[in-house]
Amino acid sequence: MSFFGFGQSADIDICLDGQDSRKKVEVKTEDGKKELMLLYYDGETVSGKVNVSLKKAGSKLEHQGIKIEFIGQIELFYDRGNHHEFTSLVKELARPGEMIAHTSYTFEFSCVEKPFEVYTGCNVRLRYFLKVTIVRRLADIIKEVDIAVHTLSSYPEMNNSIKMEVGIEDCLHIEFEYNKSKYHLKDVIVGKIYFLLVRIKIKHMEIAIIKREITGSGPNTFTENETIAKYEIMDGAPVRGESIPIRVFLAGYELTPTMRDINKKFSVRYFLNLVLMDTEDRRYFKQQEITLWRKGDRLRKSNVQNNQGQDISEDHFLQIVPHLPDSSTVKADDKEIFTGVRSPTNDEDVSTSDTFLENTPNDNLIQHMQREAGDGEQNSNPENDE
Amino acid sequence: MPATSQQLSPVEEQEKLLDDALGQVKVNAFQVKRCLDKGKLMDALKHASAMLGELRTSLLSPKSYYELYMAITDELRHMELYLLDEFQKGRKVTDLYELVQYAGNIVPRLYLLITVGLVYIKSNSGLKRDILNDLVEMCRGVQHPLRGLFLRNYLLQCTRNVLPDSPEMENEDGNGNVRDSINFVLMNFAEMNKLWVRMQHQGHSREKQNREKEREELRILVGTNLVRLSQLESVTMEKYQKIVLPGILEQVVSCKDAIAQEYLMECIIQVFPDEFHLQTLNPFLKSCAELETGVNVKNIVISLMERLAVFSQRSDGVGSGSGEDNFPSNVQLFEVFSDQVASIISNRQDLPVEDMVSLQVALVNLAHKCYPDRVDYVDKVMLNSTEVFARLGMERFEANSSVGKELQKLLRIPIDNYNNLLTVLKLQHYATLMEHLDYNGRKLLSIYILNNALESETVISSQEQVEQALNLVSTLVSDQPDQPKIEVDIEELAEEQGLLSRFIHQFKSTSSDQQYLVLLSARKILGAGGALRIKHTLPPLVFQAYQLAHKYKDLKEEDSMWEKKCQKIFQFTHSTITALVKAELAELPLRLFLQGALAINQIGFENHETVAYEFLSQAFSLYEDEISDSKAQLAAITLIVGTLEQISCFSEENAEPLRTQCALAASKLLKKPDQCRGVATCSHLFWSGKSLASNREETHDGKRVVECLKKGLRIAKQCMDISVQVQLYVELLNHYIYFFEKGNDQISVQVLNQVVGKIKEELPNLESSDETEQITKHFNNTLEHVKSRMESPESENVLYEGIEI
Repeated sequence: MSFFGFGQSADIDICLDGQDSRKKVEVKTEDGKKELMLLYYDGETVSGKVNVSLKKAGSKLEHQGIKIEFIGQIELFYDRGNHHEFTSLVKELARPGEMIAHTSYTFEFSCVEKPFEVYTGCNVRLRYFLKVTIVRRLADIIKEVDIAVHTLSSYPEMNNSIKMEVGIEDCLHIEFEYNKSKYHLKDVIVGKIYFLLVRIKIKHMEIAIIKREITGSGPNTFTENETIAKYEIMDGAPVRGESIPIRVFLAGYELTPTMRDINKKFSVRYFLNLVLMDTEDRRYFKQQEITLWRKGDRLRKSNVQNNQGQDISEDHFLQIVPHLPDSSTVKADDKEIFTGVRSPTNDEDVSTSDTFLENTPNDNLIQHMQREAGDGEQNSNPENDE
Repeated sequence: MPATSQQLSPVEEQEKLLDDALGQVKVNAFQVKRCLDKGKLMDALKHASAMLGELRTSLLSPKSYYELYMAITDELRHMELYLLDEFQKGRKVTDLYELVQYAGNIVPRLYLLITVGLVYIKSNSGLKRDILNDLVEMCRGVQHPLRGLFLRNYLLQCTRNVLPDSPEMENEDGNGNVRDSINFVLMNFAEMNKLWVRMQHQGHSREKQNREKEREELRILVGTNLVRLSQLESVTMEKYQKIVLPGILEQVVSCKDAIAQEYLMECIIQVFPDEFHLQTLNPFLKSCAELETGVNVKNIVISLMERLAVFSQRSDGVGSGSGEDNFPSNVQLFEVFSDQVASIISNRQDLPVEDMVSLQVALVNLAHKCYPDRVDYVDKVMLNSTEVFARLGMERFEANSSVGKELQKLLRIPIDNYNNLLTVLKLQHYATLMEHLDYNGRKLLSIYILNNALESETVISSQEQVEQALNLVSTLVSDQPDQPKIEVDIEELAEEQGLLSRFIHQFKSTSSDQQYLVLLSARKILGAGGALRIKHTLPPLVFQAYQLAHKYKDLKEEDSMWEKKCQKIFQFTHSTITALVKAELAELPLRLFLQGALAINQIGFENHETVAYEFLSQAFSLYEDEISDSKAQLAAITLIVGTLEQISCFSEENAEPLRTQCALAASKLLKKPDQCRGVATCSHLFWSGKSLASNREETHDGKRVVECLKKGLRIAKQCMDISVQVQLYVELLNHYIYFFEKGNDQISVQVLNQVVGKIKEELPNLESSDETEQITKHFNNTLEHVKSRMESPESENVLYEGIEI
């Protein structure tokens, strides 16, 4: 608040209702620090009190009016000057006049629409704040307070598992399955990898969670990939027929809900990257987008209260996809996958080298399973892209 | 991992790597403890994870890795105790179960997960089943053989005390029952076995040996699973039969790895109780037939058989009754093994012949131990073996080949077990199987059979048995077509034939008539043995026959035909001895004839005089025609004289010519000393010889005695060698004294004095030598005798009156 400098004749203090009881969450600020903020949800009323206190008792403050704004804006770091406000509400607190003594104003933005979630990324920041302005002739006195906003979703109606057979011809064929395509932020990814053909010496296998932030549009599109987590799921070389379980708890990582085309300014999307490393350090990988969403935690609160020690939320270990019990069912599954996977490969015979086998910049690779670069990204698997 | 310098040897390098890793473990373990003491659980877990990170190495050999593993799991135990303590105080466990799963590397993560899972089970068993399933499933993530094996071993170690062990139908809730434990261990077993087998196929083929050694070192880790299964008390027979064993066997057979199969099959045999094995023989043995070519199926099957055999004996000792009673009646132990062994032999083309025989050996042992009374079982094995050889077109096996050795072993078992040749003879296929051995093998076995029969004093009592027995040891009885054409070692032969002869003495029938038949057939078989053998084998038969004749004499009250029979017997012996004569033997038949004459004399059946005469005359003719060596002649004539002296059954008409013949023969000996001695011996015939004429009393023909002795003196005088002369004089003096004392009135003191004087005259002229000394001694002793007789008070010392000493 030193921003306002000294010589200021009045201090503004914004005091939100329920300050003590309301939940606070950490929000990353632009400089990477974390700050505790009060948490609001879409449609919640934001109300409180603005206290204006005069520095010198007995002096008076002349002003052209006092107002309070509720602003939601997107800031692109490469375009500092332009802030894109997607929400802006104003309430007038006082008409122009003179303030003689310490004054308090109550305000209320009732049922404010807060369509997006606060977000701080590499190139973009989305924030909500209250801004009180005492309009003066020379320099306005301004006070801003950020609040946190979480957007809650309900359980998705469609939540298919992700299941796919991929590989490199005559080298490596695997089938993988993630139990869902949409995960909430405290969810657990459960899945398995089934090895259909292994002719390379695999050293280990890991799953990486990758966050892709895309900002801008047209020629000014910036894409940032950030690996949020790297999780080893297999050590050593499997043989044909092995199935390797996957279980990744998401709650421990810094994740946000998937954001698509927020106000036409940016998107944040998440991918699971399955990476196999062979003994010569070549990497084979397959990326698959998952959708993250935020689940309301009211239910969770009640759980916590009941949960004294014994009652364990069972999803910690009950969700393992049962290991393929016998070969017959596997085969039945296989066929579907084959038709599903093969057809695109055949269509794209010419471009195979581009889409199927591609070098990654850092690894000096010969081949990998990556197939999303060409078509997966834009028109990714229709059933997963909703 | 720290870089290792090039100069280090592999062993040093391993040591260094291990030291480094252990150092890291130590540091982190200390941190873990420190953090736990301060209550900083998160930090403790972080350090624990770092410590476990050491187990991610690929550089250590199994041995070093094991050491590292031990050190680390030791530390984990400490943490486990702490956590258990915490949770019993009411701390939440679930969070931790989730928390440890954030560890980025899978190996540390799973070790932690297992540790925490165990704590959770111990503090709250409501979800035991789920946790166990979860753990065993998650461990799939480690596919590296060495690391995977140790990880799963840790899982098994940790859960060993918490596996649910309540019968099925109970605890359907989260606590689980034995079914869950079985599934858990079977799954872990299957995975470990896969990892273990996979080791075989990694790396260069030139390191194969090394790899197999490493696998050997690790096999116990896999086997522990089976041990764990065997420790579950709620695994009943039924469960073992339906779930446990099929599960294990499927894995064993399908892994197609010889090392694993051999070890695991052995493991199954060793860890599970015998009662279970009894009920699951068929599936187990069937699996044996399906194992890989490199697997030593023989050892597996034999091991099982031996175990069950021991079991049957043990339960025999505990319970009452025979072994069969203790077996569940539905288990046809022998039949099952027999069938399965047969199918293994026919299905496994690679099985060496000696292994087939070894299997039969084990089968026989089993039959013997479990069904001691069932000779037919053993016989069946013999038959099967013969059939196998027939199918393979195998005729003969050399005794020192491995097959030959096994076959001998097989054939010796019945002998050793029954200790009764008669039982062995009941085995119809024994002889056929024995034919598969070469000459030497059969001979060795024959000797073995005989030794056994002798030691156990088996009595052979029927004609048939004799034939079978002798047929069995035919290598000893007669020449064989496949006999090697080399010169026979006489000493060895004598030893072998000695055994056979001893054996013949055990041909003892209960009835005498039977015995006769026995001897007849033995004679028939043994007669074909050739000159070298009959020399040894026929004499016992002859003696047996003489004994039989004596027996008939004892039975004369009961058997009116005894005399005829005796005659027959002596005819038999006569022809037998003649066979020996034909084999160009002389002294032996001579003695046998003499022995026969004695026997005839004692038995005294009808017409015995003629027969005795015949025997003696045969002896004489042998003496005359066949014995040419002068020493042998003297010995023979002495024997004849001795025999004749004993025989009392001759009338004067027969006795006289015989005696005269003896005297004549004696005086016709080549050497003078021999003549002298022979004649002196003959003198006794005329004194103590008996005949019908003298009413079987001694003849006491003093005149003829003195004639003989005088002749002796004459002959002695003719000797050129003074010392021999003196010696003969001394000997003659003894004869004189003998008859003098016996009361021959034809001998006077003067005669004695003459002889004594002669000796005294010559004795000092002898050159001093050992011989002389002996003679002097003999002479002095003789004089001493006379003196003592003179001095002894009760004797009629008048007798020696006037003797000059």
